[in-house]
Amino acid sequence: MSRPSSPEGLATSSCPTADQVSAGNTVWVDIRALLPNTKEDLKLDFSEKVEESVISLLQQARDLLYGAESLCSGSARETCLQVSEIIIDYSWEKLNIGTWRDVEKDWRRVYSYGCLFKALCMCSEQGTIADTIRVCDMGLLMGASILDNILVRIINVLQKHLTYGKRSAEEDAKESQRKKIRNDHTTVPSIKSEEVIPRLHCPSLEHFRENYMIPQKPVILEGIVDHWPCMKKWSLDYLRQIAGCRTVPVEVGSRYTDEEWSQTLMMVNDFIDQYIVNKNSIGYLAQHQLFDQIPELKQDICIPDYCSLGEGEEDSITINAWFGPEGTISPLHQDPQQNFLVQVIGRKYIRLYSPQESENLYPHETQILHNTSQVDVEDPNLVKFPKFERAAFQACILTPGQVLFIPVKYWHYVRSLDVSFSVSFWWL
Amino acid sequence: SGTSPVPPRTPPRSCCPLTALSAGHGRLVLGGWLAGALPGHCQDLLPSESHVLLLRGTALEAWARGARLCQGPSWQQQLHPGEAARPLPLAPCGYMIPRPPFLCPLPPALRAQKLVLGLEHVVLLGQDGTIYTWGCGRWVHGQLGHGGLEPALEPRLVEALHGVPMGDVAAGGWHSVSVSEGGDLYVWGWNESGQLALPSKALAEKRAPATASVSQHEEPSLGAEAADFISIQAFPALLDLPEGSEVSKVSCGSRHTAAVTRKSRGLGKYGQLGHNDTASSDQPRQVGYFPANGLTVEDVVCGPWNTYVGAVEK
Repeated sequence: MSRPSSPEGLATSSCPTADQVSAGNTVWVDIRALLPNTKEDLKLDFSEKVEESVISLLQQARDLLYGAESLCSGSARETCLQVSEIIIDYSWEKLNIGTWRDVEKDWRRVYSYGCLFKALCMCSEQGTIADTIRVCDMGLLMGASILDNILVRIINVLQKHLTYGKRSAEEDAKESQRKKIRNDHTTVPSIKSEEVIPRLHCPSLEHFRENYMIPQKPVILEGIVDHWPCMKKWSLDYLRQIAGCRTVPVEVGSRYTDEEWSQTLMMVNDFIDQYIVNKNSIGYLAQHQLFDQIPELKQDICIPDYCSLGEGEEDSITINAWFGPEGTISPLHQDPQQNFLVQVIGRKYIRLYSPQESENLYPHETQILHNTSQVDVEDPNLVKFPKFERAAFQACILTPGQVLFIPVKYWHYVRSLDVSFSVSFWWL
Repeated sequence: SGTSPVPPRTPPRSCCPLTALSAGHGRLVLGGWLAGALPGHCQDLLPSESHVLLLRGTALEAWARGARLCQGPSWQQQLHPGEAARPLPLAPCGYMIPRPPFLCPLPPALRAQKLVLGLEHVVLLGQDGTIYTWGCGRWVHGQLGHGGLEPALEPRLVEALHGVPMGDVAAGGWHSVSVSEGGDLYVWGWNESGQLALPSKALAEKRAPATASVSQHEEPSLGAEAADFISIQAFPALLDLPEGSEVSKVSCGSRHTAAVTRKSRGLGKYGQLGHNDTASSDQPRQVGYFPANGLTVEDVVCGPWNTYVGAVEK
C-alpha cells in the first residue's frame, strides 16, 4: 500500500479539491507548518521491540500524509485514518500489558505517532477541532513525547482556532459562573492545640533545612507562593478558558479504596459541569501531571526554592494537580517522596501521622494498597482497628496561599472543605 | 468476514500478524506477515509476535520470528519416549509461553486437560472440570476471577466455579470465559470493549449522539447512570444468552469473544464479530451469515482481532 515518495513534500493551500473550504484549510496550513518539511525528516526510528509490521504501518501513514495528494484527497485521508486507528489500537494493547513502568517506551512513542497521524487526518477536515484536541490529549496522556512535543504544539494551534468562534459564549458563561467557591455549610473539624502544625512565614532555606527537613517534621509555610500568578488568576472561568476542551483523568467515587471507585477520561469543561457546578456525585481530577500536558498553566506556578535542598535535579520533581469539589477524600496513605502541598483555591482538612505510627494505622495487606491505611480516619472502626486510637497525629486546615511540607513516608489524610485546587511537588 | 475459506484440519492458531494453520501430516500453512517456512514433522504449534512454539517430532521448540531454518530453534527440549503430546501450550509437566524461559513448570497435582494463555494470565481446565487461574501482571483486570485485583503467582482454584464442572475455557487479552458441561457460559475480567457481553460504559458513550459543533461541554452528561455499567467483573458471571442457548465451543480474541452456538460479542472495530459492521457490541448477537447460507457451525477460534469459523453445509 505504500506510495512512492513525493519530492514536493506536504501539499499546502494549493490543495485543489473542493471539499477543502477556507476555515479547514487555515487550520491545516498552520498545523502543516509544525511538521517536518519532507517525509525523510519525519524519521520513524524504533528499537527492535517494535515489530516490522507496525513500523511498516507507521511508514504507510506517513507516506500517505506526504504523498502527492497529501490528505486533500478523501480516499487518502480515509486510508490514513484507518491505518492510524490500527496503530493506536495495536499499541494500546501493548500499553495495557504489565505495569505502566514496565511498558516499553517505544510502544508509547508508537501510540503517540498513531495519535499524531489520526489528528492530522482529522484537522485536514472541518469542524472536528475539539475531537482532534481529544486525540492529541490521548497521545499526551498515554504516549511519550515525539517530534519535539509536537502534540502540545498542535493543540496550541488548534485552540487558537477554537476560541475564535467561542468568545461570546464564553463571556456569557462567565456571568453565570461567578459562584461563590467557598462553602459555608461544611462542618469544619476542630483542631486541638496539641495537634496544630506549626506555621512559619518565609523561613530561610537554612532554617527550614535544620529544623524541619533534616528532622523530618511537618510545617506550614506562608508567604512563599503569594507572588505566583495562579493565586490571582485561577478560577473556574480561567480553567475553562485555558483547559476547557482538554481531556484529563478523573477519579469517580469519593475515595480510591471504595469498591465503586473508577477512573475515567473527560474534558475539563465536562468535569466542571458535572462535578464542580452540579454536585450529583464526587469526581476528582487527582494526581495528574496537568502542567506537563498544558504548559500554559505551568507558567502560573513556580517550583518552591526549598526543593533545591533536595539531592534530585529540578526535572526530577513531579508536579501534580488536585482539582475537585467539596468532599473529595484521599484516604490515609504515605508517599515515597517529600511533598510540598500548595493550596491555591478552597480549603482542605489534612491529618498527618508520623511513619513511626505505622503499626497503629493498619495498612492494607494487599500489594497495590500497602501504602494505604484501612482506617476511615474521621469515622474509625475502633473495634476492628483498636490501636488506631493510640496513634498521635497533627492536623490543619490548609487555606489558599499556604504550603504544607509533608516529609517522606509521612501518613496523610486529606478532605476538601470547598471546591479546591492544590498543586503538589514531590521531590527528594 | 473473518471466516477461513477452507475448514482446516486442526483449529487455526493465530496472532498478530501471523496466522498458522496446521494442514495435517506435519505440514503448515502460514499466512500474514511472516512469509517464512517452518521445519517438517510439526504436530502442533502456537504462534506469537516474537516466537513460534512447536511440538515437532519428539521435541518442544521455540523458533524466533523470522529465523531461518538453518539457524535452528532458539530453544529446544527433547521429550521422553512415551510422554503424551498434548495440545500446546500444554507440555509434559508444565506449559509453554512464547518468551524465555519458554517452559514453565506446573504442580504435578494439577492434572490439566486444557490450558490457555491471556496476555497476562493463564487459565487451566483440570481433568475434573475445575478451573485454576494465575497471572503475573500487577494490575489485574479481574481476569483471574478470584474477586480481587491482586495478582496470583501460583495456580489458584477459581472457587466461585467450584462444583460446576467445566467443559471448555478460553482466555482473551484481559478476560476469561468458561463453558460448563451443561452449556452455560461464564465470563470474567475486563469489559472495556464489551467483550464480556455486559453493559460497557465506553460503548454507551460512543453510542450517544455526538454533536458536530465545538461546544462539546454543553452536551448532556452521561454520568448519572454510570453505576449500571461494568468495567471489571472480578468474579465469574453467568451469562444469559438469548433464548437460553447452550454453548458448545468458545474462543476469545484480544478484546472479543465468540461462542458456538453462533453468538459473538465484543470489540468489532475491524469486523471481527462477523456482523457486517465495524462497531463494538456489548450484547451477544447471532452471526446471521451462517444460517443465511445454509451452514452449520462446528467450531470457532479467535485470533486477536479476527475470528475463524469451521462450518459445514447442512
